[in-house]
Amino acid sequence: MRTLARYLRLYFIIEAQYIKARMQYRADFLVSSIGMFFSSLATLAVFWILFNSINDLAGWTFMEMVFIYAFYMIAISPMQILFDHFWQLRFHIRQGTFLKYYFRPLNMMFYYMSEMFDLKGLTQLLVGIGLLIYASTQLEISWTAARVILLLVTLFSAALVQVAVVLIATCAAFWVVDSWPVLGLAWKLREFAPYPMSIFDGAFRFTFTYIIPIGFVAFYPSQLFLRPEQVSPLVYASPLIGIALFALMYWIWTQGVNSYTGTGS
Amino acid sequence: MSLIHIQDLSKHFKILNRRQGLGGAFRDLFSGDYRTVRAVDGIALDIQPGEIVGYIGPNGAGKSTTIKMMTGILKPTAGTITVNGQVPYANRIRQAQIMGVVFGQRTQLWWDLPVIESFKILKEIYRVDQATFDRHMEVFEKLVGLKELYSQQVRTLSLGQRMLCDISASFLHNPQVVFLDEPTIGLDVSIKAKIRSVVSELNRVRGTTIILTTHDLGDVEALCRRIIILDKGKILFDGPTKKVTSLFGAYRTLKLQIDDFDDTTLSSLREKLAGRFGRDHGVTVASIEELWTDVTIDQARTPLSDVLNFIMKTFPVFDVRIVEISMEKVVQQVYEGALG
Ligand SMILES: Nc1ncnc2c1ncn2[C@@H]1O[C@H](COP(=O)(O)OP(=O)(O)OP(=O)(O)O)[C@@H](O)[C@H]1O
Ligand SMILES: [Mg+2]
Repeated sequence: MRTLARYLRLYFIIEAQYIKARMQYRADFLVSSIGMFFSSLATLAVFWILFNSINDLAGWTFMEMVFIYAFYMIAISPMQILFDHFWQLRFHIRQGTFLKYYFRPLNMMFYYMSEMFDLKGLTQLLVGIGLLIYASTQLEISWTAARVILLLVTLFSAALVQVAVVLIATCAAFWVVDSWPVLGLAWKLREFAPYPMSIFDGAFRFTFTYIIPIGFVAFYPSQLFLRPEQVSPLVYASPLIGIALFALMYWIWTQGVNSYTGTGS
Repeated sequence: MSLIHIQDLSKHFKILNRRQGLGGAFRDLFSGDYRTVRAVDGIALDIQPGEIVGYIGPNGAGKSTTIKMMTGILKPTAGTITVNGQVPYANRIRQAQIMGVVFGQRTQLWWDLPVIESFKILKEIYRVDQATFDRHMEVFEKLVGLKELYSQQVRTLSLGQRMLCDISASFLHNPQVVFLDEPTIGLDVSIKAKIRSVVSELNRVRGTTIILTTHDLGDVEALCRRIIILDKGKILFDGPTKKVTSLFGAYRTLKLQIDDFDDTTLSSLREKLAGRFGRDHGVTVASIEELWTDVTIDQARTPLSDVLNFIMKTFPVFDVRIVEISMEKVVQQVYEGALG
């Protein structure tokens, strides 16, 4: 507990500095936030155009799709905001600059990830929350206390799944010189997450459910709120899946950190 | 008790012998064709609290690999190593608290933040209390003139300024031992001198143990009483720096570019020098780099100015440089029994 408090405190101190440094470039911050705002809405535009010619997608209405998408945006925000430094890992590893993360008396993943705080991810988070409120009003979902708690729990585990999938792919850099194909694939697959899994054929659906379980980033947990009567028992296990995947990811990271010996110098 | 104790320590890297081309890369996937690099190969040493030790040797000798083992990043292939009585890799976080590390030109400060913020973050990371922090910052101010740089972003510092900041930072939490891996690489003479004085002062006032690797014998001469020479993973010499500098301090190398250089130039140069200064004259001739002829002179036996004058009169020289003896030369001489 004391360690947790210490790390939180440290995180705030470091991030406060980063935000201060970023705010000095106000134009840069504004432009990237506006960019994020519109790119968040781009997928929504695709839905809108799609639903102009069809009435439903595998039985899901436009507003339900908006709900799933909003859930997705909130669930991927922690990755965007807190773990954005993962993009640089393969460069740090190849150039030997990853070495410095070993020298501080800190958890290495914490230290590594604390070096980046992506403010524009907050835009995405806010858009997601706005859309979720809008869609659930339209769909007349009643937010009882139990539902709200369920929402928070499922969002948290969905975020864990998202972080775990991307970071496992990122860790390939510890063993493979050119790890971009692995990471690029994981990043690309993520874009399938806000679609109903039922539109994919058997092999893909199986993959997205059991192997690279991006179905758990948005679609399956959303079902709990949209069509609770249709939910398969597996969906109730999503918090466990999130925690297990995150643990697996952390184990792989530890193996990578231990096997990386640094370029000679 | 020794602060650092190393016995029969080895680190071997297994490297895949890569084949050419795409087909080769594919076959490499299943290849068991490994080559072993003995980066550190059975060394033993003991370092006492408060020492400054020069850890030197040519490129690829295994210096950085040794430091990585002492800091707990690398697990030894064989042998024992303890720092402050503990095995470094067994508990990296605990060991990191008692160490400071500066690795070459790679800064460990926060690139985009002002210098002072890096120090404040380090204060939190290492749990340095405010009074100690203020006292240490005062010392850095006196030695380095750090205040001037406080508000500057780390990435805007010059290499020398950054190095001074990094070195100061590595002492902030009052570590028992600081590892400096080539802290003076790529720096000009005046910054080098400053770094030397800062390091020696911090060692003096705090009694911090320092392990220094460098390619500059001048650093070792200025800072270290003790020198360890490493080559091909083995220790060639471990003893007083004085013994080494008295041997090599007097050596200088004249680098010459001679007009119309051809196959006969070297031998003719050798002959003429022998004719003028005698056979046992402490002057050797070699050509290592293209276009440059190296004449190494033991100034204890033959004055450099005499040799230079003589060569300038006898050969059409159009460029001259004078350099201190190189690490490679020292190692070669040690092999040849110079330190007995
Ligand atoms: N991660 C690694 N994988 C394979 N070989 C390595 C690795 N790190 C170092 N080596 C090899 O081990 C040997 C010693 O390297 P090391 O970096 O310790 O040398 P060094 O004395 O620090 O040299 P320099 O003065 O150039 O910095 C070299 O042959 C190097 O190629
Ligand atoms: Mg080195």
